[in-house]
Amino acid sequence: MEPVKKTSRLVAALAAGALALGLAACSPGSNNAGSTTGSSTTAPLLTLGQIIEPTSFDPAVSQEGNSMPYYQAVYDTLIKRAPDGRLEPMLATEWTYNDDRTALTLTLRDDVTFSDGAAFDADGAKANIEHFIETKGPQANQAASITSVEATDATTLVITLSEPDPSLEYSLASSLGFMASPDAIGSEDIASTPVGSGPYTLDSASTIVGSEYTFVRNADYWGDALPYDSIKFVLLTDETARVNALRSGQINAAVFTAPSTAQELESSGFTVEGQLGDFSGFVFFDRTGQLNPAFADPRVREALTISIDKEALLENVGQGRGELTNQIFPSDDFSYDKALDTDDRFAYDPDRAKQLLADAGYASGLTVTMPISPVFDPSIYTTIEQNFSDIGVTMERVEFGPGQTIPALLGGQFAITYFTLATFNDWTTVRQYLAPDAPWNSLKTEDADLAELIKAYQYATTDDERTTAGQAMNEYVVDNNWFGVFSRVLSTYGHDDTVSVELQTQQAVPSIYNYSPAN
Amino acid sequence: MGSPRQARGPRPRKAPHVLSFIAKRTLLALSQMLVISAVAFFLLYLSSSGIARTILGEQATEEQVAAKTAELGLDRPLPVRYVEWLLGVFQGDLGRSYFTPQDVSDALISRLPTTLSLLIATTIIAALIAFALGIAAAVYRGWLDRLVQILSIAGYAIPGFLFALLLVIVFAINLGWLPATGYVQLTADPLGWLKTVILPIAALSIGMIAATAQQVRGAVIDVLRQDYVRTLRSRGLSEREIIFKHVLRNASGTGLTVLGLQFVGLLGGAIVVEQIFALPGLGTVAIQYTSRGDIPVVMGLLIITSLIVAVVNLLVDLGVGFLNPKARVA
Repeated sequence: MEPVKKTSRLVAALAAGALALGLAACSPGSNNAGSTTGSSTTAPLLTLGQIIEPTSFDPAVSQEGNSMPYYQAVYDTLIKRAPDGRLEPMLATEWTYNDDRTALTLTLRDDVTFSDGAAFDADGAKANIEHFIETKGPQANQAASITSVEATDATTLVITLSEPDPSLEYSLASSLGFMASPDAIGSEDIASTPVGSGPYTLDSASTIVGSEYTFVRNADYWGDALPYDSIKFVLLTDETARVNALRSGQINAAVFTAPSTAQELESSGFTVEGQLGDFSGFVFFDRTGQLNPAFADPRVREALTISIDKEALLENVGQGRGELTNQIFPSDDFSYDKALDTDDRFAYDPDRAKQLLADAGYASGLTVTMPISPVFDPSIYTTIEQNFSDIGVTMERVEFGPGQTIPALLGGQFAITYFTLATFNDWTTVRQYLAPDAPWNSLKTEDADLAELIKAYQYATTDDERTTAGQAMNEYVVDNNWFGVFSRVLSTYGHDDTVSVELQTQQAVPSIYNYSPAN
Repeated sequence: MGSPRQARGPRPRKAPHVLSFIAKRTLLALSQMLVISAVAFFLLYLSSSGIARTILGEQATEEQVAAKTAELGLDRPLPVRYVEWLLGVFQGDLGRSYFTPQDVSDALISRLPTTLSLLIATTIIAALIAFALGIAAAVYRGWLDRLVQILSIAGYAIPGFLFALLLVIVFAINLGWLPATGYVQLTADPLGWLKTVILPIAALSIGMIAATAQQVRGAVIDVLRQDYVRTLRSRGLSEREIIFKHVLRNASGTGLTVLGLQFVGLLGGAIVVEQIFALPGLGTVAIQYTSRGDIPVVMGLLIITSLIVAVVNLLVDLGVGFLNPKARVA
């Protein structure tokens, strides 16, 4: 036993020494690699920590969320999204719908060239959108309503739809809107060698695939130059590595996922920005009782939702980084209704949950099969299991390995899941979560009343109409317990004092246009 | 028990024995790799449903998923796919990544130098330190021996990842002497490479030093107790000559075997250390590609790591045979 005691003391001494040194941490800017020039408007380098690598630079298979900055560096979109979500001109200077909103006419810039020297025009834009449709990439749904694309002249593009698509303009500011050189589209090289008209070009010589991606300023950029001469993305998939890289000055900013990291960074003197984004809670796939007859009764779904102590879960597991909510629509959507978040009906109430189960004919309890994803903190599932047990519900676990959970969920194998899901604009939310063919409506629930409400939103022509229709749709989804939403997660974006950052609404990380050297 | 002459062993017919030994070991390694690859291939594909869905993303329709499944050949019988994959491997074609526009061989070979340079440097440094500590502890005994044993136990007790984090906090964040993350190619900038691998090597080598030093210490003590050592001393040979010319050669087989085992273990340790230091090596590949179910890359990784293990085992066996003729196998 003696050596063990000595070892323990040695480990304790080493840990104490390291902790002492760690507490004497340097100030965030003192060892910063991303130094700025004397000017307050330009700087040589911005280094960002990334949690995902670009799988391909072909815009037709581009990923969004954390991957967006890679593509924004080299590709311009037809429309630009401002940090607060407003749509602004980019490659398209203006755009208008016809009366029934089935044709969008865009006027394009005539002074843009791609980095290979090819000129940007309506034919090139048409070729890009058609390539996007043919490729059927991860964001293919963005073009689901497009029936034809016509270049009526060099600067006019007409996109015709089979039915109104309220998120088309948003899509044209996202993957669907990325414009690559028509000479590069369809070539194998574009996957690793992007050719766009964006503010930067990929510096292949300084890029290590799967590790570091360096973009240098496009000297011939048509628009306002961004403040940094080059941007380096460093792939740091491990949270601890990102923290260490930021603290040692190797990166200027990064997104973080562990709730405890925000406090760690703030105590080290870094700035932590955050915005309410993803929502967490139950997705009730089985609203008609296909897999578990009990789930057909909305009272059962409501009982399961209110059996969870959401506030305790947010405080204990989420470190308080978030807000309780009952709805899937974020506050900047037309459909958001603040009144739904203050509805006591969804407050933690195990007694009422038991009563609801009894009213639904399950007084003796029921068994629920819960898919367990390795992505989430195991204590979340333990809490759910315990809360379920308190109302007589037995939770059977089905464990999944990395990368296996989502295919199983979307394959319609489960009646319920706990998950954290991204928030979108209203129409993307409908297509992602509510429509009969939505991927997260995996058991294809069709509800005539909801279909009418969705249609009312789809055909709304003014913001007032969208608000009225959207809130009615939202209220229906909440009232019928399609989801059991717990909370909205406050994101964590940490940066040093050399950089000013504006977060991008409904996007996991800021767009590259949102960074500037701090004064 | 033995004598210096016996320990050196017979010299004739060395080359044919060595070639025969290498051929047998190579065949054994190939058959092992065949079995491992078959088991892994079937297990991976049988436990991975929804590959096409994962590739296409959440928004893909059922028709798109079905088309992708057919495009990747995932709707064909598993044994047929394995045979095709195996034939490709024998032709140097490890397939193509499901998620990135890269051939598997390109993806792995571009990362192999990072991991290999890290492991080889770690092994060399750990071997030098471990042999020095082990010999010193065995020869001088007393407080030095106790200190080496305490350090060895500490080396066992401190997990590599924890030691890595301590090193980063002290040397990268607080002192700013070395980078916390990142990697520079050895061929591009040797000094830059050295700066980026010092902390990872330190983190990886602590366990290796602890294990090897203990074994070397024990082996040297055993040899020092042999009759022939007493005979050598009685003949007036200096202690330095006895240690480095006779004792070390007879004791180092044990150390070499432990080093070989530790090297193989380092492949696993590299996964954690490469993550912490964001090194673009095979460990990082293992995490990234396994977590998203990129089976062609995982299978390629398996082949390469199996190959590394086979080569290291062969070299260790040859090394042990060279040092100790009694260990040679016909």
